[in-house]
Amino acid sequence: MKSMKAPYSRRSFLHRAGMGMGALGLAPLLSELQGAGSNGPNPLAPRKTHFPARAKRVIHIFANGGPSHVDSFDYRPMLEKYDGKEMPGEQLRTERKTGTLMKSPFPFRQRGESGLWISDLFPKLAELADDLCIVNSMYANVPNHEPSLMLMNTGAERINLVRPSVGSWVSYGLGTENANLPAFVSLCPGGVPIVETQNWRSAFLPGAFQGAHIDTKNTQISKLIPDIRNPRMSLDLQRRQIDLVQAMNREDEGSANDYDADAEARIHSLELAYKMQMEATDVFNVELEPAHVRELYGDTLHGRQMLVARRLIERGVRFVQVWHGAGQPWDSHNEIAKAHGELGKQADQPIAALLIDLKQRGLLEDTLVLWGGEFGRTPTVELPTPGANGPNTKLGRDHNHHGFSMWLAGGGVKGGYRFGSTDDFGFKAQENPVHVHDLHATILHLLGFDHQKLTYHYAGRDYRLTDVYGSVIRDWMA
Amino acid sequence: MIRRSAHLKYPLSTPFALPFPSFLDRGSLAVIFLLSFVGGVKADSISSPTPVTPAASSSGKPHFTPAQIEFFEKRIRPVLSENCYECHTGANAKNGLELDYRDGWVRGSDYRKIIDLKTPSRSVVILAVSHSGEKGIPSMPNKREKLPTETVGLLQEWIAMGLPWPEEAPRKRESVDPLQHWSFQPVKVPALPADAGNPIDWFIHRAQTAAGVNSAPRADRATLYRRLSFDLLGLPPRYQELRAFVDDPRPDQIVWAELVDRLLDSPHYGERWARLWMDVARYADTKGYEGGGVERRFIYSYTYRDWLIRAFNEDLPYDKFLLYQIAAEQLVDSAGPDRRHLAAMGFLSLSRNGSQEDILDDRIDTTFRGTMALTVSCAKCHDHKSDPIPTRDYYGLYGIFLNSLTVDTPTIGDPPKTPEYEKYAKELAVKQKEIDELLQAAIEIAKKENPTLAKNPAALRNKVDPETRKKLRELEGKRDKFVADSQMDADKAIILRDRDQPINQHVFIRGNPGRPGELAPRQFLSLVADNGEARPFTQGSGRLEMAKAITAPSNPLTGRNIVNRVWMWHFGEGIVRSIDDFGHTGERPDHPELLDWLADYFLRSGSSFKKLHRLILTSDTWTQQSSNPKTEANMLVDAENRLLWKYKKRRLEFEQMRDAMLDVAGNLDLALFGRPVEILASGYQNRRSVYAFIDRQNLNPAFRNFDFSNPQETTGKRPNTTIPMQALFTMNNTFVMDQAEVLARQTDQASDRIAALHHAVFAKDPTAYDRKMAEGFLSDFQRASEVAGKRQTNTEWSYGWGDIDADTGKVSFHSFPVWKGNRWQVGQESPLKDNPLSYLSIDEKGSGHPGYTNQESLVHEWRSPADLRIGVRGEIRRPNVGKGNGVRVKLASSSRGNLFDKVLEASQEAMSVTLPEVKLAKGECLYFIVDPRDKDSSFDSITWNPRIVDLDGHWPAWSLVDSFSGPAIPATPWGAYAQALLNANRFLFID
Repeated sequence: MKSMKAPYSRRSFLHRAGMGMGALGLAPLLSELQGAGSNGPNPLAPRKTHFPARAKRVIHIFANGGPSHVDSFDYRPMLEKYDGKEMPGEQLRTERKTGTLMKSPFPFRQRGESGLWISDLFPKLAELADDLCIVNSMYANVPNHEPSLMLMNTGAERINLVRPSVGSWVSYGLGTENANLPAFVSLCPGGVPIVETQNWRSAFLPGAFQGAHIDTKNTQISKLIPDIRNPRMSLDLQRRQIDLVQAMNREDEGSANDYDADAEARIHSLELAYKMQMEATDVFNVELEPAHVRELYGDTLHGRQMLVARRLIERGVRFVQVWHGAGQPWDSHNEIAKAHGELGKQADQPIAALLIDLKQRGLLEDTLVLWGGEFGRTPTVELPTPGANGPNTKLGRDHNHHGFSMWLAGGGVKGGYRFGSTDDFGFKAQENPVHVHDLHATILHLLGFDHQKLTYHYAGRDYRLTDVYGSVIRDWMA
Repeated sequence: MIRRSAHLKYPLSTPFALPFPSFLDRGSLAVIFLLSFVGGVKADSISSPTPVTPAASSSGKPHFTPAQIEFFEKRIRPVLSENCYECHTGANAKNGLELDYRDGWVRGSDYRKIIDLKTPSRSVVILAVSHSGEKGIPSMPNKREKLPTETVGLLQEWIAMGLPWPEEAPRKRESVDPLQHWSFQPVKVPALPADAGNPIDWFIHRAQTAAGVNSAPRADRATLYRRLSFDLLGLPPRYQELRAFVDDPRPDQIVWAELVDRLLDSPHYGERWARLWMDVARYADTKGYEGGGVERRFIYSYTYRDWLIRAFNEDLPYDKFLLYQIAAEQLVDSAGPDRRHLAAMGFLSLSRNGSQEDILDDRIDTTFRGTMALTVSCAKCHDHKSDPIPTRDYYGLYGIFLNSLTVDTPTIGDPPKTPEYEKYAKELAVKQKEIDELLQAAIEIAKKENPTLAKNPAALRNKVDPETRKKLRELEGKRDKFVADSQMDADKAIILRDRDQPINQHVFIRGNPGRPGELAPRQFLSLVADNGEARPFTQGSGRLEMAKAITAPSNPLTGRNIVNRVWMWHFGEGIVRSIDDFGHTGERPDHPELLDWLADYFLRSGSSFKKLHRLILTSDTWTQQSSNPKTEANMLVDAENRLLWKYKKRRLEFEQMRDAMLDVAGNLDLALFGRPVEILASGYQNRRSVYAFIDRQNLNPAFRNFDFSNPQETTGKRPNTTIPMQALFTMNNTFVMDQAEVLARQTDQASDRIAALHHAVFAKDPTAYDRKMAEGFLSDFQRASEVAGKRQTNTEWSYGWGDIDADTGKVSFHSFPVWKGNRWQVGQESPLKDNPLSYLSIDEKGSGHPGYTNQESLVHEWRSPADLRIGVRGEIRRPNVGKGNGVRVKLASSSRGNLFDKVLEASQEAMSVTLPEVKLAKGECLYFIVDPRDKDSSFDSITWNPRIVDLDGHWPAWSLVDSFSGPAIPATPWGAYAQALLNANRFLFID
């Protein structure tokens, strides 16, 4: 449906430019997006990986706010011995003032055949120790939420530095297997985390790779995704209407000189929205699961959300981020026993259920599950700082970027495996420290990409998720 | 004017050659003074300290005798190295206190000075190392014994000598002096050649030429009119007006300048530009979270919004615009005609709820990010790593806000003189009286119990017993809710007032109120001190003085900030892209000279927004096309369009889009001002979006989906996202569909309806191709609608009664005629008396009831949307187990007849109803039948949510409950066409 008045069509422009276009900044954009919409290849079509992939999709469970590693996955027996005493040795700076060492209120035990130490904060998940690859030596750069979230999610901690999120990079690399759903979905109940949509932005990658946020606090599909149904038109009639809209949009595209990434992205998103109407009502409806599966996850907000995550990846969504909640729920500056205890109760069963369910369906093999926060917490107790954490603060822990833990499961990583360690007290990554960039490089590797080669040409240079950093950690791989 | 001040964290090479900041109290000022001029001190003995004589050497550097230096090296340095260096050196020095070089001693910690030259024994450092135990003085060295008395004596001697130290290369904490940062430098006005034309173009063309980039040709008149209309008014152009402009025979420059002026004079200009500033002011109509019973609405927030609209329309000079927003109550007579300006203070007072510290921090942040693009809040807990804003400065500002209270809401408008208002006022008086009496009585009691507080009503109120306090809070909450709901009250302003007796504020060490450091006088940022020094403010809280310091012409940040924001509002990106961060973590300006030139121009032209708009809008830079013939080459050099080689196409912002949809449908209510209204949810009003009720806690998701600014904090630049939820809104939202249908109806008398719709929506004539597409769509849509027939619902499902003929296998089906509540039924009344249809009905949960006999079986019809191979899943439940005779469940298709037939016995609670596989042609129907069995329909209530799954996996499952819906209000072909136009990029983007 091309008008004759356009001097030349997009396709012919590309044709004319031939191979020479490879050097142009806009070449990738144009070739990716040509024909997005009603004709031509989908920009989200799966791409060829650099080498055989171990994982084909990722579920990132984001315990936002900073879960305490010394209360969960990093067993530090010295902490009990030194409870209430000053920490010997190097004093590290964190966000706020902290005092003496404080032992964990959650007893640690050895679990599974592997004997990994996991605390009672996650009793059900602990039973699956033999599936976990626990990394005890993570570290980041600063003890503040905003930059650390940016680092974990985009590889660049400066908020003004507009960089695509990990999910956007993965979607760009892998495409989606389901044209009816976004490639990258961000589930967060009750609102959005801090720094908001920047956590799942596509930045200079085409808008089609942006994460779609779903507020999973809602259970009714009509609230979960507002306007998911047209009250006055059947899908069949609406298809005709959308075809007309897209015909007008194509007509307006004009030449490559008129190219506008936002206008192009809207063409794609209109198409996706139409298709989502058919698929999304189904994918978010956990009632369609058999009763025993629903029981496994538990009839709670987090249970439903985790089940939705499985339903999404099962239908070809590449990257699902599951946030614990709006704001920074794991940020337990105060009374960590109570605060973390509550959070653990909410998260434990659903996460365990997810792993069990994925395993039963044979999906765990090529689904990488990742758990962690933007940093961990201090082994020392936080001192009251009225104005910041209130004058009555007690028995909580401050942010700690010097050392923290994450775990991975499935997707070609070793199970029942522990990597790296912090110092005796759990303050700082000591043995085999793993920077967030290294984590990113390894995730991409598991997905079949060389992190140095998965680049996007923009503004005259090739950008990549890991900037100029990152080493793949082969020890994690099964 | 930026001044370097000696107290800053980053001492310069000659720190004391410059005037001193005056924020220190007199005592510490004296200390610095003495310390700074210890040069020329003569001392001839290591052991006997020589009194200090202030005298400066020619170089301004201190000089010490060899004996003094020897004293330091032998007696002092070893002590320091053994006891202090472990924690107090380098970038991670505790509390920012560095003790391994002299300037570190002079500077002190992030929070205070540590030495007192006049009385060395009272120096903080001496008190600390001797473990004096005085309040606020830590014992040093940390966790170790105090220093021996003789060592303490030596330190005192050394201090009294003026800290002799060998000359060393000046040490800086940062390799670059942060005060040299671009944004803190005075605005420099570059010289322009006489024939420069529009200076914006001169600067941009110069930059483009240097980079080898070409700008785009001028856009055509129609494009420019539409662009300008959205830019200045936030409204779409009207076809007739646009035509008149396009057809005007006079030269472009003349007609364009005229048009810019005309739109700037429109009262709707103020609505658009007020909304832009409301992003900065984190405007909301609710406070945020509130305890039970307390009213969350501000009630009078709208008077601030209306003030902004008027301020823009009247082109209030920017300095006044800011002065009123920060300190109007000190500038206008609250009884005089200018009292309306009091509403301006909403800028500060409409802050989000929280602890006192949170509220004050939010006000500081909004003020300084908003007006100076400075993030001072980071200085709350530590000296700013990269911006020269010491913690002291933060608490200086904090003190200003601490002494500015929201105590009253003065009336700024006259109440309506109507009987309704009289009634309202009477009712309010009753509620108020109840509160007053209760309070008065409680205060009398409190007075007797606390005679010392007799003259302090505020303190007395805190002494009121908890029970009464709770009751009072409840009554006040009810009163406020009454006022907010009735919407009758006179316009009032939410203002701040200075405390009668200002409280002094101490620095909180590491942001901890439990660790008060030195006093932080209320004063301006030392970095931008007017007249070279930050003097403590003297009038009340100092807020007015602060406002004047912000708006002082010598303050380079204020001017650059506002011209940069205005630039972004016109171009989509700022000259400095980090809009509210001009500090070290922000970006540098793409065109620094242009930024300075504009800041200066703005000041010279009376800080007039309208003059600045005119200059920008009449530039070639703004009027160029969004497409450039040199795109390929330009992209290579400047993919981000920092050199402005084209106009950046922009998606309509949320407000522009909604207003435009209403306006093109002829539905927009263009009334100005007033209380906030619901603009999207059911019962929405057709007012402009700037009048939307902004609920800080619970914003309609459509706002966020369309990148609306976050009302929790000041917003520099809205995000720019493209997500399918936006498309779902324009495709499916009832608001959009309503506008489309109204728009279609408005044109039903037009002789050329397609043209009429294009005129309304795009202000353009349709092309031949547009017409061809339109005609094709309309006839196609019409035909498809007819084929579908008049359906009971818009889904694949219909609900009714009938049965399957035992002989022919054909199903008779009658659809329910009545929709009531959430239920389809036979008549307005249900059950029908003495009628075999009786209890027949079905509701949204899949619960229903058959009629008397098999002829009146409950039937759901499902029409296949395609050729499909499907399966049926699900379970039917009959809760009245053991009663009646059960039901008979049948499935049938229109072509194949009976597919399933099974009895759910009275004894059974549930039965699974499944079909493994059946093929259906497009349009063929599947029937779900509940037969009451043997003419006994008693106790036959059932619940059944059958699901149909596509065995080939192309279609999602259909379930009765999920797609349950009421009667179809079908979209008309013309309505659907109008909606398609509203969904087109050419409507949703500004070219």
